[in-house]
Parts: sequence; C-alpha cells; structure tokens
Amino acid sequence: MLSSILIAVAVLTAIALVFGILLGFASQKFKVEGNPIVDQAEALLPQTQCGQCGYPGCRPYAQAIANGDKINKCPPGGTATMEKLAELMGIDPQPLDEAVADNTKKVAYIREDECIGCTKCIQACPVDAILGAGKLMHTVITKDCTGCDLCVEPCPVDCIDMVEVKTDLSNWDWKLTHQPIQVLSAQQYEDKRC
Amino acid sequence: MLTLLEQLDKGTLWHSPGGIHPPGLKTTSNTQSIKRLPLAKEFIIPIPQVGDLATLTVKLNDHVLKGQMLTNGKGFTYLPVHAPTSGKIKAIEKRSSNHASGLPVLCCVIEPDGEETWTPLQADQASLLSNDAIINKIKDAGIAGMGGAAFPSHIKLNPASDINLVIINGVECEPFITSDDRLMREHANEIIDGVKIIHQLLKPQRIVIAIEDNKPQAVASMQKSIETLTLDDCKIRVTVIPTKYPSGGEKQLIQIITGNEVPSGAIPAQLGIVVHNVGTAYAIQDAVTNGKPLIERVVTLTGEQIGQPGNYWIPIGTPIKHALQHTAFQAQTQQKMIIGGPMMGYAIGELQVPILKGTNCILAPSNNEIGPDLPEQACIRCGECAVACPALLLPQQLFWHAKSEEFEKAASYHLQDCIECGCCSYVCPSDIPLVEYYRIAKSALKNVAHEKKQAEQAKLRFEARLKRLDDEKQAREAKSKAAADKRKQSMSSNDKDAVALAMARIAAKKKASAAEPGTESSTTANKKASVNAAIERAKAKKAAKAAQTDGPSVVIPSANTDTAVTDNTDVDPKKARVAAAVARAKAKKAAQANPQPEANLVSQSQISSVTATDSENTATPVIADSAEYAVVDPKKARIAAAVARAKAKKAAQANSPSSAQSTAEAVQIKTKQETTTETTDPLSSAVADNTQISEKTVIADSVDNAIVDPKKARIAAAVAKAKAKKLAQSQPKSHQPANQEVVSNDAVDNARVDTVQELSSSQPAIGTNEAPAMAELDDKKARIAAAVAKAKAKKLAQQQQKD
Repeated sequence: MLSSILIAVAVLTAIALVFGILLGFASQKFKVEGNPIVDQAEALLPQTQCGQCGYPGCRPYAQAIANGDKINKCPPGGTATMEKLAELMGIDPQPLDEAVADNTKKVAYIREDECIGCTKCIQACPVDAILGAGKLMHTVITKDCTGCDLCVEPCPVDCIDMVEVKTDLSNWDWKLTHQPIQVLSAQQYEDKRC
Repeated sequence: MLTLLEQLDKGTLWHSPGGIHPPGLKTTSNTQSIKRLPLAKEFIIPIPQVGDLATLTVKLNDHVLKGQMLTNGKGFTYLPVHAPTSGKIKAIEKRSSNHASGLPVLCCVIEPDGEETWTPLQADQASLLSNDAIINKIKDAGIAGMGGAAFPSHIKLNPASDINLVIINGVECEPFITSDDRLMREHANEIIDGVKIIHQLLKPQRIVIAIEDNKPQAVASMQKSIETLTLDDCKIRVTVIPTKYPSGGEKQLIQIITGNEVPSGAIPAQLGIVVHNVGTAYAIQDAVTNGKPLIERVVTLTGEQIGQPGNYWIPIGTPIKHALQHTAFQAQTQQKMIIGGPMMGYAIGELQVPILKGTNCILAPSNNEIGPDLPEQACIRCGECAVACPALLLPQQLFWHAKSEEFEKAASYHLQDCIECGCCSYVCPSDIPLVEYYRIAKSALKNVAHEKKQAEQAKLRFEARLKRLDDEKQAREAKSKAAADKRKQSMSSNDKDAVALAMARIAAKKKASAAEPGTESSTTANKKASVNAAIERAKAKKAAKAAQTDGPSVVIPSANTDTAVTDNTDVDPKKARVAAAVARAKAKKAAQANPQPEANLVSQSQISSVTATDSENTATPVIADSAEYAVVDPKKARIAAAVARAKAKKAAQANSPSSAQSTAEAVQIKTKQETTTETTDPLSSAVADNTQISEKTVIADSVDNAIVDPKKARIAAAVAKAKAKKLAQSQPKSHQPANQEVVSNDAVDNARVDTVQELSSSQPAIGTNEAPAMAELDDKKARIAAAVAKAKAKKLAQQQQKD
C-alpha cells in the first residue's frame, strides 16, 4: 500500500523533472531576443515617422502597442492598419481617434520661388526627403516623401503644400465604373469628324 | 520514350487546360492584303511608351526626320521612341493615353511635312554583325513585343540562361484579329529572316513556328519559306495547333508545344524557352537588315461598323480617329471602341489617342457582334469558370475575395497567375465581369506592395538619418573635447609665460608714459603740447590785457590762476590725472543719465569742473614759461592770442551745429554763465564781462580744489554756478542783443578766448590721455550740454518776458 504511493510519487517526480529539464532546455535553445510582437507591429505601421501617435517614430509606437497602448493612434495607416494591429494583438478593433476620412496619400510640395532657404524643413524631415542648402532653394524628393506633414509647420514662409499624389498609369486602380467614360452617339461621331 | 526534342520534331502536341472556343470572326478582315492609309494630320507619340526614365531629345518646333530617335534614356526596360514621319514638333503636352484609363500622358505631337524624309539608315547583313551589335540595333530600333504585351524584345534576346527552344508565335487566337495572319501570308520570307537573326542570337536547338489551324494559308506560306532554310545545329518546323482560345498566351503555348508548365512567378527563359511573336520577328529583320526602327505596324481594323475592314500598315502615333475616318467607319448608338481583341482588349472613351507598338487591332463592333454589357447577377456557383480557366485557378473564390476587397485572401488563391484572358467572364451565366474584379484586385495588391516597399525604404532612410544625427553629435562632442584638451595642455605649458610677458609689457608701457607725459614722438602728444602752449599763450595775453584795461581788479584773478597752477604743480601730477579721469567719467555718467534740463545743473557744473581740471592739468608743464612770455613781450602774446582765437573759433564752429548757432543768437544774452562753460557758442561768450571773469576765477579755484578732491571740486563748481546765476539774474537788463553785438572790448574778447580754449583744450587732453574715441564722446557731451544750455536760456528768456 505504502509502496504503491511511494512509487506514484517517485514516478510523478521523475516525470516532473524530465519535463522541467526539457522546458528549461527549450527556453535556452529557442530563446528569442527582444519582443517579436514589436517587429510584427512595426511591419504593419506605415513608416511615415510622422509622430501623430505621440511617439517619436513608428518603432516607438510599435513598442508602445506591444506594451498595451491603444492601436488607434495611427492616422496615416487608417482603419486598415488598425484592423491588422487588432488582429495581431488579438484585441477588438478600436475606432480611430479622429475621423480620418481623408486617407489619400499626399506628398509635400515646396513652392520653390517662395522658398527662402532656411533649411528648417530639412531638419524636420524624418526621412531626409528634402534637398537643399542654406539660402538656396529646397525641393522635395517626391518618391521618398512619406507625406508626414512634419515639414509644413516649421516653414517660416508657408511655402510647403501637401498635394495629393496624382493617379497615373502606374497606380491606376482599374475601377472602370469610376471612370468618366463618354458614350458617344452616332450623331456625335458625325459631328466630331474633321 | 521519346525525348522532348524528338517529340518536338514529331510535332506532338500536349493538352492545355481550360480554354474556350469563341467564334473566330476573322474573315471580315483577312481577305484583303495589307494596305496603307494616307498620312494623318498629326502624330501623337507618347514619351514613356515602354519602360520609364526617358528623356526627350527634341524641342518644340524642331524638325524631325522619319525614324529619328526622339528619346534618350537608361534603365533595364527603356526603349526609345522614334518619329513615325518627317515633320515639325508641334506640341509637347499631355494627351489622353491609349489605355483603359484614358489618363493623360506626356506626348510629343508631330505635324508631318508630307515628304516622309528618312533619317540616314544603317543597313547591315546580320551574319556579319556580332551579337552585341545586333542587340544594340534591336534596342535602338525600339522593338517591343508586337503581340500586345509590348515587352522589350532585346531583353528576351539576351537571356541569362541557355535557350533550347524558340517558339515563334503565330497563333493569334483572339477572335477578329488577323494582323499576324496577313503578315505571315505576305511577308513570310522577312519573318524567316528575323527568325534567322533570333537563331543567331540565341543558338537554340529547335525553332517552332506555331500557327493555329484556322490559318491554313499562313501555314502554307511559312512552310514554303522554311523549305529551303538550313540553320546550323537547329531544326525549324511549323507546328499547327488546334484552334482554342487562349492558345496564343505565352504560357499556354509552351504547354501545348512542350507539355511543360511555366511555374508561377517564373519566366519561360528559366525552362530554356523563349517565345517571340511573328510581328516581332518581322520588326527585328527590318531593324537589323534595313536599319529601320519600329515606327509602323500592321493593325487590324475590323468590326461591322467599319466599312473597309482589313489590315493596314499604320505608323505608330497615328490617332485612331484618323484610321477610322479612312476606313469608312460608321458609328452607331452606344458604339464601343475596343483596342485589342474582344476577349482581352479594352474600351476607350476618346478617339484622339495614338496607335502604340502593342496595338494589334481596333475593333468597332456592331451590337449584333458584341452586345451591350448585361447587368451583373449573383454568382450561382456553377463552376463553369473553373473549367474554363487556362491557369487552373478558382475564379469563384477569386471573385468572392476580390468583391469583398479581401485582396490578401485573393492573392492566396494565386490571383497573380491570372492572365486576364477573359474565359471565365465569357462562360459566366450570370454575366459577371470577373476579369474586371481581378484587375481591380491586382492593382490594389500592386499598390499595397508598392506602399510596403516605400514604407521599408522610409524606415531605412529614417534609421539612416538617426544614425547620421547620432554620428554628427558624437563627432561634435569629440571635437569639443579635443579642443578642450588642447587648451588645457597649452595652458599648462605656455600660457603662464604669455601672461607674464603681457603683464611686463603693460608695466613697461605705464612706466614710459609716466616718465614723459608729453612725448614728442607720438603725434597725439605733439598736439597736446601745442594746444597747451596755445592755452598758456592765451592766458598770458588775457592777463596782460586785463592788466591794461582793468588794472588791479583783473590782476587778482590771473594771480589766482597762477596760484592755482602752482598749487597744481605742487600736487602729484599722477594723482591729479587720476582724479580728473574719475571726474570726467562721473560727469559723463551724469550727462547720460540726466538728459533733462532740470537735472543738468549738476552735470554742467561737473563738466565745467572737469574741463577746467583738464586744461589746468595739461597746462602744468608749460605754464610757467608762458607766464614769463607774457611778461617779457606783450606784443608777441597778442599775436599768439589772435592765432589762438582763430583756432578756437574754428573748433567752436566744428563743434556746434549750425542750427544751434542761429537759434542761439536770440538766447545768448541770458545764457552767458552756462554757455561759457559749455564752449559751443563763441558769441555768447563774447558777452562775458567782469562777472564772468570773476566766475572764471571761482572755477579756477574749484579746479584747484578738484585736483585735490573731486568731490570738493564738484561742490565748488556748484557754488560757482550758483554765484554766476545770481550775477546773471542781477543784471539781466544790461545784456541786450544790441549791446552784445557792439561789444568789442578786449577784455571780453579775452574772456571768450579763454573759455573757448579751455574747452577746446579739454578735448585733446582727453584724447591723448585715453583714446581718440573718447574725444568723440566728449564732443557729444559738449553738444548735449549745449542743447541743455539752450533750453535753459529759453526758460530764462520766457521768465524775463514775463517780468
């Protein structure tokens, strides 16, 4: 009777030891440096580095999200990014702080004849997408501009506009129904002949 | 088991999945030979036709020749565009594009001159050229795939891997289109010449010319032209394949000919296969042997609404409208205009768009041929589309996800492998425009991918920037640290010596200046000396004059001054100078702090005392001499006095503003006491009389005191002021302008000289003692004082008027 109890305890202890060693080994062997959630969250963020979330860049915000901050603080990412973040974090989607109705992609544009060459926008640009030198005209490298708005405010002469990215053949979305197609009648064809 | 090559030789065909059998409708256009149209009124050449990064090499109003290259550019997929005819560049502007979107693109508009002057062409024999030369020729000719996709041909002719099989695509599976058919019938030999060039470049083991069995004449023509053809280590044959849409698709054709499927995301070259269109082979031959760039192509104009359907050689850039006008086009209501075939083509909304390198057909169908779009109905999950799909996709699933905008999920069903052939839409009983959904989903995915790429790039740039800023900061810190270290080091070794040296230098200087106050060497000292001499002379003269006119009464003051001077000399000259400097500084402060006339009384007295001290101080070394002079020779003294007077006047004029002088005239009488101490107004000083002289003596006394104690001096000056004021008030009526003007008394004159000189001497004295800048400050001071005096005088005048 007693021996069977002892055997059971011994067996359980042995099993516990074996699994303990296994787990300990696994935790050492398959150790992950850093928090992988941060990288995943950062990959979802739009990398505009605009700071509208209140953090100095996308990675700090990704860290904050991993630490439990709200996921609705990224206006450039819009609802799509928020939903992806919700899925990643396994939480309910949260509506964005402000109504971000206008989620069109924009880029900065410097009205070059008004630029006084103060370099303030160059210092503000988080991705070094503004080219220029002191007392010389500046210009935006459009393909590198993230549309973060950060250069607009420091400009002392208000010569920076945020302009919408124009649709061209490379980024046209094939929505034929949205296309203003002119349907011509026979009469109009006749008129149009030269 | 036969090898693949043996099977190719045998003409074995494999089955390709899916596909449909739409009516061919080719006979409308393939019965006549290829014709030409008259030149259009303008040609529209879009600049970025194939590949980007093109630079226009012509300007507005330039004259271009037929076949002249219009662009310059770099990049992997760049292809030049050429002028299709000779003429003038009429405009470089944005025009509607020959694209489903119709979005404007930058175009070069050429107005033809009608002469069709060719640019010099470089005709060559292909067999004598190196492969690189041929490829360059093909690239410079701007040859793009003529089957519709317009992929740059020179890339396909210069693959990284070995090519075993070249397929010449003459399938032309889409309904209506017959341009390749007609080209094979009429230009089989040229096409074969092009094939020879391709063979020279790629060295394949087999060349298969694939033609659908609905083009027997083209097959016969091609067969005939290859009969006599022999190629090194290569067998060439024409393989007839059964008619099925879309057998002409690159991947489908490879599957039919070889039985191999091109993997998803791969290109045929990875299987050792390259497919070229017959039109491309023709263009390659034209470019290499004749040197002609790709500036025209065969276009099928067909459809029931076109009165003269057929195939036409149309220069690239010709507006579609022009082509329609010359082929008896009759528009109907709700006319559709389709570029390409009915299956894969797209409708355009604007007719003034150019024909491009990939435009093989313009279809103007009647409503009988292609009915209007029927309204989309719900998917009934019949599965017809999955059967028809040549790429073995699941069109239903793609449709569901594309419609609900779950593009990622659509991508997981291999949306990217969809060739947009339109088979699914064709068989759909619910009339769902499936391909349109796929195109939207594809473009959305493309945009997402692009955004992701951009985000990655932005992240890299952001990180690079942070690193740069950090590096800069560290560099700055290191630099400042290095500079601090250097400073410390040099301080410990050399700096002490340097400081000691500097101290020694200063001490030496001080000693020197103390030893000889009036150094002859320096010009300032000279000046000082001369001024002093002048002052002494003037004083001596004054004394002499006073002795003559007034007798003992005036002698006393002169004696007073003398005593003062002697007193002065008794006192340590160094001390006196220091005291004077202190007094001056105080006076200046007071003058600056109290610009108001009320407060000025004190400052004035201070100034007066200061000036007096200065003059007395500087006078010390020479005074005894000058006094002796005066006694020995009064005549000489008088001459000297005259000279001194003139000098004084000059100085006074320089000092006082002209306006002050003019306004002063009326005021002068009442201001004598104040102004005499101020120097600015020589005229006012002219009014001076006994009272003034007595005042002078008082001042001299005060000066005497001031040397001993500046405080005492100030008090004394104040007392003197008060006395002077009293005197002035006691005899206000006697000082009338007329009186004053008439006065030319010697004594008065003397007094003027005296006062003026006292003040003028004060300036150089300060200048020599301190710095030239101080003289300027003094000047200012004097002017301020003058202004104050004037104000006072005005007040007095007003008081007098009241009285």
